[in-house]
Amino acid sequence: MRYMQHAGDYVVEDRRRLLTRAARLGRNLRFPAIGALAAAVVGTAARLAGPLTVRAGIDDGIAQGDKAMVTRAALVFIVLLLIQYVFVVISRYGIAWVGEQYLLKLRGIVFKHLIRSDTAFFSRSKSGVLVSRMTSDIESLQEFAGDGAVMALSNTLTVIGVAVAMVLVDVPMALATFAVVAVLIAVSVVFQRQAAKAYEQVRERIGRVLAGLQEGIAGVRVVQAFTQEQVQAASFGRVNEAHYRANMGAASAISWYFPTVGFLRVVALAAVLAIGGTRVMSGSLTFGTLVVFLLYLDWFFQPIVNLANVYNLLQAAIAALGKLFGLLDVEAEISERPGAYDLATPVTGAVTLEDVTFGYDDAVTVLHNVSLEIPPGQRLAVVGETGAGKSTIAKLVLRFYDPQQGVVAIDGADLRDLTIDSRTDAVALIPQDGFLFNGTLMDNLTYGAPEATVDDVWDVLRAMGIDQWIRGLPDGLDTEVRERGSRFSSGERQLIALGRAFLSDPAIIVLDEATSNLDPETEVEVEGALRVLLAGRTAVVIAHRLRSAERADRVIMIDDGRIIADGRHSELVETSPEYRRLVEVWERGIA
Amino acid sequence: MSRDGTTVDTRPGLWLLVRTLRSYPRDATIAIAGALVWMGAVVALPYVTKTIIDQSIVGGRREVMAPLIALLIGIGFVQAVAMGVRRYFGFRLSYRAEADLRDRMFGHIQRLAFSFHDVTPTGQLMARSSSDLSQIRLILMMLPIVIANIAMFFTVIMVLILIDPVLGLVASLTAPALVLNANTLARRIIRLSFSVQQKLADLAEVVEESVAGIEIVKAYGQERREEQRLNEAALAIYEDTIQIARYRSRFAPLFELIPSFGTVAVLWVGGIRVIDGALSPGEFVAFTQYLAVLVLPLMITGWFFANLPRATASASRIERLLSTDPVIEDPPEPVPLPAGPGEIRFEGVRFSYPEGGPVLEGVDLLIPGGSAVALVGATGSGKTTIANLVPRFYDVDEGSVMLDGVDVRDLRLDDLRSEVAFVFQETFLFSSTIGENILVGDPEADDLRVRAAARLAQAHEFICSMPDGYDTVVGERGATLSGGQRQRIALARSVLRDPRILILDDATSSVDAVIESEIQEALRRVMAGRTTLIIAHRTSTLALADLVVFVEAGRIAGVGTHEELLSTVPRYGEVLAQDEDHATGGAP
Repeated sequence: MRYMQHAGDYVVEDRRRLLTRAARLGRNLRFPAIGALAAAVVGTAARLAGPLTVRAGIDDGIAQGDKAMVTRAALVFIVLLLIQYVFVVISRYGIAWVGEQYLLKLRGIVFKHLIRSDTAFFSRSKSGVLVSRMTSDIESLQEFAGDGAVMALSNTLTVIGVAVAMVLVDVPMALATFAVVAVLIAVSVVFQRQAAKAYEQVRERIGRVLAGLQEGIAGVRVVQAFTQEQVQAASFGRVNEAHYRANMGAASAISWYFPTVGFLRVVALAAVLAIGGTRVMSGSLTFGTLVVFLLYLDWFFQPIVNLANVYNLLQAAIAALGKLFGLLDVEAEISERPGAYDLATPVTGAVTLEDVTFGYDDAVTVLHNVSLEIPPGQRLAVVGETGAGKSTIAKLVLRFYDPQQGVVAIDGADLRDLTIDSRTDAVALIPQDGFLFNGTLMDNLTYGAPEATVDDVWDVLRAMGIDQWIRGLPDGLDTEVRERGSRFSSGERQLIALGRAFLSDPAIIVLDEATSNLDPETEVEVEGALRVLLAGRTAVVIAHRLRSAERADRVIMIDDGRIIADGRHSELVETSPEYRRLVEVWERGIA
Repeated sequence: MSRDGTTVDTRPGLWLLVRTLRSYPRDATIAIAGALVWMGAVVALPYVTKTIIDQSIVGGRREVMAPLIALLIGIGFVQAVAMGVRRYFGFRLSYRAEADLRDRMFGHIQRLAFSFHDVTPTGQLMARSSSDLSQIRLILMMLPIVIANIAMFFTVIMVLILIDPVLGLVASLTAPALVLNANTLARRIIRLSFSVQQKLADLAEVVEESVAGIEIVKAYGQERREEQRLNEAALAIYEDTIQIARYRSRFAPLFELIPSFGTVAVLWVGGIRVIDGALSPGEFVAFTQYLAVLVLPLMITGWFFANLPRATASASRIERLLSTDPVIEDPPEPVPLPAGPGEIRFEGVRFSYPEGGPVLEGVDLLIPGGSAVALVGATGSGKTTIANLVPRFYDVDEGSVMLDGVDVRDLRLDDLRSEVAFVFQETFLFSSTIGENILVGDPEADDLRVRAAARLAQAHEFICSMPDGYDTVVGERGATLSGGQRQRIALARSVLRDPRILILDDATSSVDAVIESEIQEALRRVMAGRTTLIIAHRTSTLALADLVVFVEAGRIAGVGTHEELLSTVPRYGEVLAQDEDHATGGAP
């Protein structure tokens, strides 16, 4: 099962372990975090002190007819407000800064781990899942960091602060308020659960709506060719309607919760007025205290509502963290061992497979005891039916995998003993589709040789005979490659991939031949460029066509994980019935 | 608007918003009515509080306390119910409008001609029907409450001034300050959020690319380079989000601070006026409460107006899409398609794509019913275009294309396309089962016919070897099929349609020789008894055709058998020779 573990498999579930790890990752941010927290405490305290000056103004100023006292109270209030503003700004910015710094670090760490994972890990994992770790999962953390963390902290502090202040100001009114708040909390918990479920459904169904849209647009030509417009519209209509119903489910929850909160607020107000008012009339409470209480009351309800909302963000953020740490826990099987060394230069390019047995998982063996020696400079074509194991040989030479048994070596050195840099310098891959990155042609050509100059690039292009074509492009080497090179034909993409391989100047080339045919003119160019590239290099060509086999110095035929024929094309046609059969099929294809 | 990168006339968008609102008169009316009742209750509450304080608490009339408290709770209840009504119907209005518009857009997109889709990226249409649409939904959702909020704003100011003109004026200064603050913050954040979205997409692209190209990354040992690209993308996001945090931390606390300054004003000015006897203690309390009541509505109003331009721009883009002419439609008076052998005739056809010179010029061509014809020509010669004109994927500029004697433009699209099946070069499978994908050819077919079609296309065997047979889910989220398997499913789909005319856009170009020979076998069987047009990209395909049409530079340069053309049209030989040369490995 060694290569079977993939991204969806592992999630860190244990909350405490998760939070400990999350905290450890942010250890370098602890001082700013503590500072922001302290500022938030000071800001909240200043805010809560404000209404007390109102009480002083009323009881000692207005009630006594002392205008100077009123003015003094107002001035103190203003000072408190300014203090509050400064500290709240500091704390809000500080918390957000800590959060964004944390995310910046996390993005780097997760990607660094991802990009260094095994090729096997990538081929086993759905690429969509891997991409979503770096995008939607980190984005749900971002949502929390951007707004949620500040909300959670400031509202928690406010709720605690107001509760304490209420008790200090007047116990009976505080108890009455708490009774109403207890109901509010119960209602909020119910709502939170209902809303979480409803939103989950909304998320799932919006996913289907988007998938339906995507499919309807991408497949529009087929839809029209088969006059399926109405069928498509009807089936999309059902998905769309299901999304509407999910939305209304969430809407119903919101539509009862917020009015209930509003009503409870009025009930609390009524209770405070009744209890406090009676006590003011009996003289056991000052009017100022009642007013303070009314002010506090307004600050009590909104934060609790906010916390109910933030809870969902927090849940999503914790779930995302679990997945991210799960990804970080998957260890790469292929790595540089301690004491790895570099190949002696110049690399001659001899490739050896010695008694190699390999399977992608332990149950199925793909290659059985394969031994193969490719002398430097030889052009070897590997042929065989789909699934015979021919591309596996290529992957072992690139050390995308390690064999279970036996040795793969370059110039006599076991790949497992070599540094990664040394191996990648020695071997270059030309994949089937060419694969270009977004960026300029120059970026793509120098992908494996970042230090190459513009002159170097032109030299190579000229040698390969494709400089005229590049010069003919509107922006030459600065032509932007967009959407993986979709503006280029597949032949042109191959030409660029050949140039890229040439510039990295490897001793060994692994070429996975494209299955599809190119238009004749491009085909000539590709052949020409390939001949230049392969001169003096060892080449392992996974061949799909007769002429590639004919052109090779040597052909091996793989069947069921074993080499069943080995020799020149002209020899094999004579000696191997299996090879002859394959050649016949190819010839029929050419007709 | 220019921040979006596109400048649009927003008037059509505004109209779309108004028309949409008008299409749901009941929900809109109830939501707005609910909002206004809610507003009335919200404004009444502090006044009742004032009365309780002045009459009972300060005035000492104990007997009015209980009824007034009951009144307070009663109004609180009305407020809650009205809020619930406002929210529920506001949601229903906006979600309904969103769903209906999305349905309309989807249906419309499905009808828009190939010429539209050729130049419109998928992502753009996705954006129209997701993010642009949510802008409209948000605005419709907010509308009832914003109407009530504006009404509330004026009512509260009026009440305050009636209670005490001096203090009323001072206190009402907080209102414009709040709106201004909300609007400023919202505008800045909206602009930056847009930019963040863009940068998140950029980052996603880096990740997608590295994952898709992982073999190249590994083979060239460029992990560090990819990391650097990622870190740059992450830093760009950081710079924007930290800027948002900066704005938020500076402006958001003001939403509390501004009403607090109002409270200071009430304490100071009001306190002195209470001492002077110009203001009652209850009125004093009412002032502080009104200030608190206004905060949220004013924030929402500020946010609403900051979003409105964006929403109308979105609505304009949607309106433009919805009013795009489908171009290729059923004729007003369709002619029924007579029975026939499937004869295709081109008469003086001239055609050009929207941007660019003529692709076909003066094309006259007769393809007899039941024949198998290969279209041969260099890339860009126009051979694919000829095939595209038969099922009317595009309309000719001049001349006509006729099927069994009837101009294709006089036929109902359904009639025409049910007799012309097109197998595209790139196979598109829907994310559903294999069986359903074949059924696309004829949704009314039964299992027996589906299987027969699959057998004919040589697909039955491999389908049966799949875990769930015909119920195996394919497409983006399903099982992965090889190019050859996909093509055979597409072939079965076309066979099921049982068309007079079968058009193959070199359906075998993406498979290797072994599979190609299997597919050709299937093709031979499928083609029997139909007119077949094959767009040939490789010489091997010629074996299937009994007639070759050689196309060069938008004109028919020769028609005949392969041998005839070789001997009479030198250019044909040249074009093929080039190809042949490679196909047999004859190059040095």
